[in-house]
Amino acid sequence: MRVTRRQFLRTSTAALGVGLLGGCAAAMQGDFMPKGGKRVVVVGGGWGGATAAKYLRLGDPSIEVVLLEPNKEFISCPFSNLVLSGVRTLPSLTISYDGLRAHGVKVLHAPAVAIEPEIQRVRVGEGFLQYDRLIVSPGVDFIFEQIDGAGQGERVVHAWKAGDQTVTLAHQLQSMPDGDVFVLTVPPVAFRCPPGPYERTSQIAWYLKTNKPKSKLIVLDANQNIVSKTGLFRAAWKAYPNIDYRASNKVTKVDFGERVVTTEFGDRVKFDVLNLIPPQRAGAIALRSGLGGDDQRWCPVDHVTYESTKARNIHVIGDATTGLPVPKSGNVANSMGKITAHAVTRLLAGKPPVPMPPGNTCYSWVSDREAIAVVNAYKIENNKVVQIEQKLTPAQSPQVAQNAVGWAQSIWHDMLG
Amino acid sequence: MTTNLTRLSMAVVALASVVLAAGVAVAGPLDHPGYVKSATCSACHGFAGASRSDTMPVLAGMDAAYIKKALQDYASGKRVSPEMEPFAKQALQLGVDDVAGYFASQKKAPTPVTADPAAVARGRTAAATCAGCHGADGKGDPSKQIPDLRGQPPGYLRNQMMLFKADRRSPGDANLKAIKTLMKTVPDQTFADLAAYYSSQR
Repeated sequence: MRVTRRQFLRTSTAALGVGLLGGCAAAMQGDFMPKGGKRVVVVGGGWGGATAAKYLRLGDPSIEVVLLEPNKEFISCPFSNLVLSGVRTLPSLTISYDGLRAHGVKVLHAPAVAIEPEIQRVRVGEGFLQYDRLIVSPGVDFIFEQIDGAGQGERVVHAWKAGDQTVTLAHQLQSMPDGDVFVLTVPPVAFRCPPGPYERTSQIAWYLKTNKPKSKLIVLDANQNIVSKTGLFRAAWKAYPNIDYRASNKVTKVDFGERVVTTEFGDRVKFDVLNLIPPQRAGAIALRSGLGGDDQRWCPVDHVTYESTKARNIHVIGDATTGLPVPKSGNVANSMGKITAHAVTRLLAGKPPVPMPPGNTCYSWVSDREAIAVVNAYKIENNKVVQIEQKLTPAQSPQVAQNAVGWAQSIWHDMLG
Repeated sequence: MTTNLTRLSMAVVALASVVLAAGVAVAGPLDHPGYVKSATCSACHGFAGASRSDTMPVLAGMDAAYIKKALQDYASGKRVSPEMEPFAKQALQLGVDDVAGYFASQKKAPTPVTADPAAVARGRTAAATCAGCHGADGKGDPSKQIPDLRGQPPGYLRNQMMLFKADRRSPGDANLKAIKTLMKTVPDQTFADLAAYYSSQR
């Protein structure tokens, strides 16, 4: 059955329209929510966008804040590697958007279809929303075309956005026969969550060691070495002889029929279960809207206001940004959300923005009970973000894991509570 | 006359500034001048220092001098914490008095972490030994840098007692000699009870 674009938009709009805003957006056609006073539209309700939406309302309750987020609930990527090993459940990482609604944020469970910077509109469904300022927090999208055989990603299990994919991969891992081979592929930098693939390696290795001692884990890393917390991960992996870590092994081809991945040097590696983490770029909406830099991959921004260097009145935050000496982490996105909300509030009131530095705390679990961490503090110097210091925990420990749990409880509430 | 008028108008201007400053201070939760220097902290310590977790201390309403000393000790590495050291340096660069003042000016927000009533009861008995300095309910005495323990998360309190006992919090700090000596006499299992008791106090 052929579906025209118009029909598709109509059906998806109708489906998405149900239950939005208690019925005031029954159909998203034309100017379906006319703008009254000052309005900020936030695209994406992840770590950056959810935080920005909440803090805009805290900063100036006279600003109407509309958050566009297709997912009905927030699911945390941090801690989701623990779902693979069975240490945590996905529901324990799932949080409602009701907290944002209580702050007066209008949450629309619909994707932004397009941005029209010249006339300050975001297209949603068959209609549009007008904005005074737009905050785009689109996260990452996958570059499947760089992996021959990956198609549009139909059969790729990346589990790099927490949700159904996480559950699928957990099921594949937990149901694989003892003795089978698990292959994990790591894309070249830059990608979301630099230590993420290595935390995942630790979790899978811990699970296999505990439950399937005859199985092994082959890690094909496109990078020359472990990208983040290198020494700490190396130390942790001494407990996991089942890890076969291969640096500088960029996977360029996958054959799901033969169950083989091929590296750029032509090495063929057989898998029983494959977790292919594809190369990444900024969320499609940002690149489609002309917010990408020269690389057409990530979005350059002002270091104080996070306003795009490509479009006025549009701010980009989170993993999609480039040019700042910060990792693509949830904590950094949370920081950017707070800073941008403050800057936007000031700009809309005709006041100059106040320079505010971001911060980063990033925990990685190396077993079911021990974690490691890296912390980055920054300052603003000549309107640029500059790192003051990076500090690592000296070793893995249950105490750091306890702090990780505390951090998660706190920051989830800071975003959505 | 002119001088008097000038004085008067200056006084009016000064008064207006005070009123304006006060107006700004109550305008909204992000308008406190210390907020922009403390925004990073809320990721772990909760908005305005109202910690939601078991391990991160509540900063809201904490004595400013105590916060300042803690930040200085973290920054110098005297109080060892890989997580806090970089952020303490950030706070020092931004203005430690503004950061400390921001949290001190917030309304106290007791931990939402609830404690087992039996542990609270045991802790109440055990706390007699702490009352000499911290008072019966744990109120402390800011003038002597003795912190208010009431409503702090139990996990945080327990961790600090363990650090004191092992002399891993600010080794060599003369002000902490008494608490460390005392903590060495307390069995580990009692720490959870003491923590439960003080966290439940308001």
